[in-house]
Amino acid sequence: MKHFLRVVTQFFVFLYCKCLWRGLKFVARKLTGRCELQRICYNNKHGARRTLKIESSLRCSKNALLQSALSVHPDKVEKTIEDIMALKKINPDTNPQLGISLQASLLQIVGYRKLVGEVEKLRREQYDCENQEHEDMLMKLWKELRPDSPLTGRISKQWCEIGFQGSDPKTDFRGMGLLGLSNLLYFAEHDKTTALQMLHDSLQPKHNETNSPEWEQKNIDKAIGYSFAIVGINITDLAFSLLISGALKTHLYNVAPETPSLRDLQQTFCYLMQEFQRFWVDEDPSDIMEFNRVRSKFHRRILRQLKDLDTALCPHFTASDLHLVNL
Amino acid sequence: MAAAAAGINKQGALATMEPCIRHGRGAHGGNVKVLECGVCEDVFSLQGDKVPRLLLCGHTVCHDCLTRLPLHGRAVRCPFDRQVTELGDSGVWGLKKNFALLELLERLQNGASNQSGMSEDVLKGMGECIIRCDEDESHTASMYCTVCATHLCAECSQHTHSTRTLAKHRRVPLADKPHEKTLCPQHQVHAIEFVCLEEACQSGPLMCCVCKEYGKHQGHKHTVLETEANQIRASILDMAHCIRSFTDEVSEYSRKLVGIVQQIEGGEQIVEDGIGMAHTEHVPGTAESARSCVRAYFADLHETLCRQEEMALSVVDAHVRERLIWLRQQQEDMTILLSQVSTACLHCEKTLQQDDCRVVLSKQEINCLLETLQKQQHQFTELADHIQLDAGIPVTFTKDNRVHIGPKMEIRVVTLGLDGAGKTTILFKLKQDEFMQPIPTIGFNVETVEYKNLKFTIWDVGGKHKLRPLWKHYYLNTQAVVFVIDSCHRDRLMEAHSELAKLLTEKELRDALLLIFANKQDVPGVVSVEEMTELLSLHKLCCGRSWHIQGCDARSGMGLHEGLDWLSRQLVAAGVLDVA
Repeated sequence: MKHFLRVVTQFFVFLYCKCLWRGLKFVARKLTGRCELQRICYNNKHGARRTLKIESSLRCSKNALLQSALSVHPDKVEKTIEDIMALKKINPDTNPQLGISLQASLLQIVGYRKLVGEVEKLRREQYDCENQEHEDMLMKLWKELRPDSPLTGRISKQWCEIGFQGSDPKTDFRGMGLLGLSNLLYFAEHDKTTALQMLHDSLQPKHNETNSPEWEQKNIDKAIGYSFAIVGINITDLAFSLLISGALKTHLYNVAPETPSLRDLQQTFCYLMQEFQRFWVDEDPSDIMEFNRVRSKFHRRILRQLKDLDTALCPHFTASDLHLVNL
Repeated sequence: MAAAAAGINKQGALATMEPCIRHGRGAHGGNVKVLECGVCEDVFSLQGDKVPRLLLCGHTVCHDCLTRLPLHGRAVRCPFDRQVTELGDSGVWGLKKNFALLELLERLQNGASNQSGMSEDVLKGMGECIIRCDEDESHTASMYCTVCATHLCAECSQHTHSTRTLAKHRRVPLADKPHEKTLCPQHQVHAIEFVCLEEACQSGPLMCCVCKEYGKHQGHKHTVLETEANQIRASILDMAHCIRSFTDEVSEYSRKLVGIVQQIEGGEQIVEDGIGMAHTEHVPGTAESARSCVRAYFADLHETLCRQEEMALSVVDAHVRERLIWLRQQQEDMTILLSQVSTACLHCEKTLQQDDCRVVLSKQEINCLLETLQKQQHQFTELADHIQLDAGIPVTFTKDNRVHIGPKMEIRVVTLGLDGAGKTTILFKLKQDEFMQPIPTIGFNVETVEYKNLKFTIWDVGGKHKLRPLWKHYYLNTQAVVFVIDSCHRDRLMEAHSELAKLLTEKELRDALLLIFANKQDVPGVVSVEEMTELLSLHKLCCGRSWHIQGCDARSGMGLHEGLDWLSRQLVAAGVLDVA
């Protein structure tokens, strides 16, 4: 009996997906006199809610033009919007807001795709000792993080001070390529106080505030502070996987008014670094060996946060503020 | 020379003959059988079969006879008083020689040789050689008449040479007696005066003046007889000297041999203790200590085996107990279920027989009953899916004789290596067969990888400098260490070497297997496996443990399973489980 019910439910879901949904859409259109895109734009606030719905609507569309709108080049977005308006027989003059909203959403969708490609390219670019640009970036990173002590050489034990594994940071960039370096540099340049604070904390024994001597004796292994640079590379990996899986869409659609750029991702990285630092301290792991456990817990938390469509992973302003700004 | 030789012969014969007679009446006069074996009645000798050996009772029997005595276990009985003498490992050879007797024998023989006079002594005309007076046998000669060529004592010389003519005979002390000249066999009147030096005449080199001038040695190179003889004497003296040192050497060597035999056999030894009191002490021989060493080793082995057996049995016992308890529990549950079902049946039957009103009234009740029955049925089918109705207890053994029950054998592995060597990549390649984007590992990753009938729990610990001291927390109970080396980085090989060397000194890893992955073999121009073995001097470094180096490429997964194959071959006791 139960089994039969299950089959029936499945059948109805299938039916709904195949025809009923379209039927409902048709009925809704007739009743309200608006097409689906219009309904989405009018019923949802600007941001992830609207853009995500538009994205899924376009993806499920039968019309080739609407489907291809997702992968259109950013420069041709305006033209595409005009085409869509014409297709849906919407008068631009009576619905001025629709065109603007649709364009903004479409730019976000297309921009996200572009950003993924851009980031992937950056990640694949291996750090190259011969490339002066790469070398300059690395040197700049040092100068930002350690303004007081000059570097003794390109290959030096000093790199361990800012949390690289060995004397040559090049080996640590492997999987994340130049993306790791650019993220770290951005963090160090644009959020200098936080970065320096993190670096300072990472160099201190974890329990430096509890100064009881037996603590220090007992936790001599724990005195290994967590390493700034490779934690940064790990968090880059986290951000990258969030981006690739599409989980970051919520955030980026909420944050970026139009095309999300690499800068947005880098800002997200800064936020993740700060949050992770706070999370780490709250978790109070017994030593650095628990890093992966803490990291996966953090990952789950961030994913949960991103499920909420109003989330923006922004330290400085909340999602509601953002709408005010955009409006 | 011939004359001289004849003289020697004459004197030698005389000298050797006489002591024999005198032995008979002199030294041996009282008890002739002292120097003879009491069993075979042969004379004892200083060496060989007839060496006198002492029995525990004090009797002396020759070696030859001892060897023929019947053995009673490890002992012989004295042929004179039937007392038992224990024999050592070397049998009759181990019995002590009767050194007192040997000394006596030696002294007697020396005396005889002194009297018989070796030819050398005679040639020198040594004074102690006793020559009888030719006039009276009972006198000892002290002079020699050069004219009559007779040996005389002072008395007889006076007596025989009392006439005037005879008194003119030149008599010299025996020591100054001139050597007799040998005459040439061809020219009887001429004495031999020369020696031929030609190669061809070496068989008969002696010649007189006639032979030299006109005879067969005419025109041959020659020298004076006397000088030649002196030369030969000198060389003989030299040789004698050599022989003496040689004998010394041989006897020294044999003494050493005796010492070594004693060391091997061990035995009683007189030892002086701290306060100077001498007492005998049993000193164990090397044979004994070697034997005890072997015994101790096997006793230890036996003990270990016993312990391991006990442990394995206890594991099996625990498993059986647990399983039985669980099964009994299930059995009980089933009985309860059965009784519940039968009561329900009974109830239903009762209801059937009741009148219509009651049946209708009990509808609710029956429904409830049916529901519970269905629930129970459902539970039972669910349970039945899980229960393995297999009485078999699959048992496998690891190399270190631990028992393992179950289809999969669990093995704990730690992956170590420098940062960037590819540890995490290898782990995830094995786990999910996919290439992960490598990022520096902070802390560790742990994954379970199933391979054939083994279940590897692999701990991958970060290779960062600061993390290396923490590796030791992951060693505990580890059966294998996988050390990953980046083959691309020649300049970091030495660092890897020193880390590996440090690892190998760890006590916890003493029995752990060592698998070395030479990673990134796909990159052209990398250090090959053979070269790496050489560079890291692995044969020396890993001496005395089971290790294996495997070239691999974590990107494509090449070589990884070969490495696991090796590990499983090492971990599972041979022949118990066919892993291949």
